[in-house]
Amino acid sequence: MIQINPIIRLVNRNLTISINPGFIIWQILFPLIYIFVAGFAYTALIDSVPFGGKNLDYPAFLASGMIGFNIMNSTLISGIIIWNDRRHGMFEQIMSGPFTRTHYILSNIVTIGIIGLFSAALITAVGYPVFFDSVEFNIVTIPLIIFGSVVGAILFGSIASIISVKLRSSEGFNVIINTVFLFCAFASTAFYPVQGAPQPLATIFYLNPLSYLVDIIRAGIFGQVTDFVITEMLVLVALAAILFVIATKLLTKLDF
Amino acid sequence: MLCIETKDLRKKYASTVAVDGVDLQIESGQVFGFLGPNGAGKSTVIKLLTTLISPSNGKISVLGIDSAKHPLEIRKKIGVVLQQPSYEPTLSAEKSLEKYGMMWNIDKKTRKKRTEELLSAFGLEEIRKKKMDDLSIGQRRRVQVAREFMHDMDLLFLDEPTVGLDPAARRKLLDFLREQVKNSGLTIFYTTHVLSEAEYLCDNIAIINNGKIMAVDSPSELKNRFGHEKTIKIHISTVSEELKSKLSTIPECQIKLEPEPTVIINSTKSEIVLMNILKILNETDTKINDLSAIPTNLEEIFLKVVGDSN
Ligand SMILES: Nc1ncnc2c1ncn2[C@@H]1O[C@H](COP(=O)(O)OP(=O)(O)OP(=O)(O)O)[C@@H](O)[C@H]1O
Ligand SMILES: [Mg+2]
Repeated sequence: MIQINPIIRLVNRNLTISINPGFIIWQILFPLIYIFVAGFAYTALIDSVPFGGKNLDYPAFLASGMIGFNIMNSTLISGIIIWNDRRHGMFEQIMSGPFTRTHYILSNIVTIGIIGLFSAALITAVGYPVFFDSVEFNIVTIPLIIFGSVVGAILFGSIASIISVKLRSSEGFNVIINTVFLFCAFASTAFYPVQGAPQPLATIFYLNPLSYLVDIIRAGIFGQVTDFVITEMLVLVALAAILFVIATKLLTKLDF
Repeated sequence: MLCIETKDLRKKYASTVAVDGVDLQIESGQVFGFLGPNGAGKSTVIKLLTTLISPSNGKISVLGIDSAKHPLEIRKKIGVVLQQPSYEPTLSAEKSLEKYGMMWNIDKKTRKKRTEELLSAFGLEEIRKKKMDDLSIGQRRRVQVAREFMHDMDLLFLDEPTVGLDPAARRKLLDFLREQVKNSGLTIFYTTHVLSEAEYLCDNIAIINNGKIMAVDSPSELKNRFGHEKTIKIHISTVSEELKSKLSTIPECQIKLEPEPTVIINSTKSEIVLMNILKILNETDTKINDLSAIPTNLEEIFLKVVGDSN
């Protein structure tokens, strides 16, 4: 039986140490600026984007993509927590206290889940005026958005955790994690529709889990749950499960 | 009750045997000192006892709990200050204590009270609002040790807690620890390289070298057993020829004239030698100005035990 209480206490700590002004600015301000500035600037270039049976205008397309992007970004937190805990001796300290590795891992998952959902809600609220016209929130689509946010958070949280376990130097950690996340961000359907992309790029888009996450959330927002989106959900869950198992194994094996 | 019991405890790393058959039996309610040179295996034993790592061989029982079966139950009852620093860089000193108490499920009111008490006991009031990242190494260490007292525990492991502390802070900590043991029946497992500290604080001491226990006893017993030679100095007023010739029959003593006339006894049986010499001084009518015994200190014993085992 896994106790809930120790996990809540660790989540409390995780949130206390990670939420700081810098993080919040990065989480809120950047997407906001991007949605409004880029969204409207590129409208001149991209007229409308077909999605499911709908045609979205570019700002709506971008704002919905931003939600997935923001979830991915917020999971960096989990990597940073693990990496800092190891560097500053808190991992050993926690492991010699009233906690198990399972508590530690689950608390990280819950933390990124909370931050992921929070940032999804935030961008949804902020983006709402932009995609107001085509939005279709209902009993299917809202759970779909939440599902996407949570699975996406676990997936990218696991990637960040794996990188943080594997790398000891601060430069290495920052370089690798930024490269991976930047690649995921731009080679995805978050900012740019796959329909307009040349073939090789379109293939790369779909080697990238962020595209799946973004598609699922977009499908949720605009009520366009196609067969393809269902396939994407399965792929996302499978991928998240595999990466989560790897991350857990690595964390469990971490030596002191 | 035995607080810590190990049987044939071993820990092998790829190329080293860090702990090599350690048997410990430690009673509750004392400060147990664990001494040994660098790389002797002290920290490894602490990591084993605190269930951070598992042994290659042997049995560990802490507070009557089998560490292989119920490690979490042990961890709930112990406090640990490891050798390496541990801190939350973004939190203030005060918040670090507070959050640590929260992690240990201490209620809010108690947390507040203990935070204040500990900030004062460890002289941290002036830096309470400072971020851990901005503290000096010694200040950070103090917070790390103080933090452990936010929660209740039956057994506390301290791996070189005084490294980096100034003499006043060091003494304050030692007195604080003594007080805790006296008042709450806490047991402390303590390692240090400062032997005067161990002498001041510890009820019993184990000396470990190359992963093996070389000796376990109270500081005074260790001195009796290993304090090979005791030195006694007798300051006298004058040295007569008669005294010189009589003393020359006793090989364990020597006469020094500078800076003042002194008879120095250096012997494993210095008390007996002393009696004989006092007799001679009496016979020769030599006046004694002062008499002093130089106690064997733990450092000499440490060097001897470790030297012998190498
Ligand atoms: N993770 C590890 N991998 C390999 N060898 C290790 C590991 N940890 C410790 N050792 C080895 O085990 C031996 C004991 O180390 P330990 O840290 O217990 O010494 P110590 O008595 O605490 O020394 P110090 O006084 O320097 O702190 C050393 O030879 C060390 O190199
Ligand atoms: Mg050590």
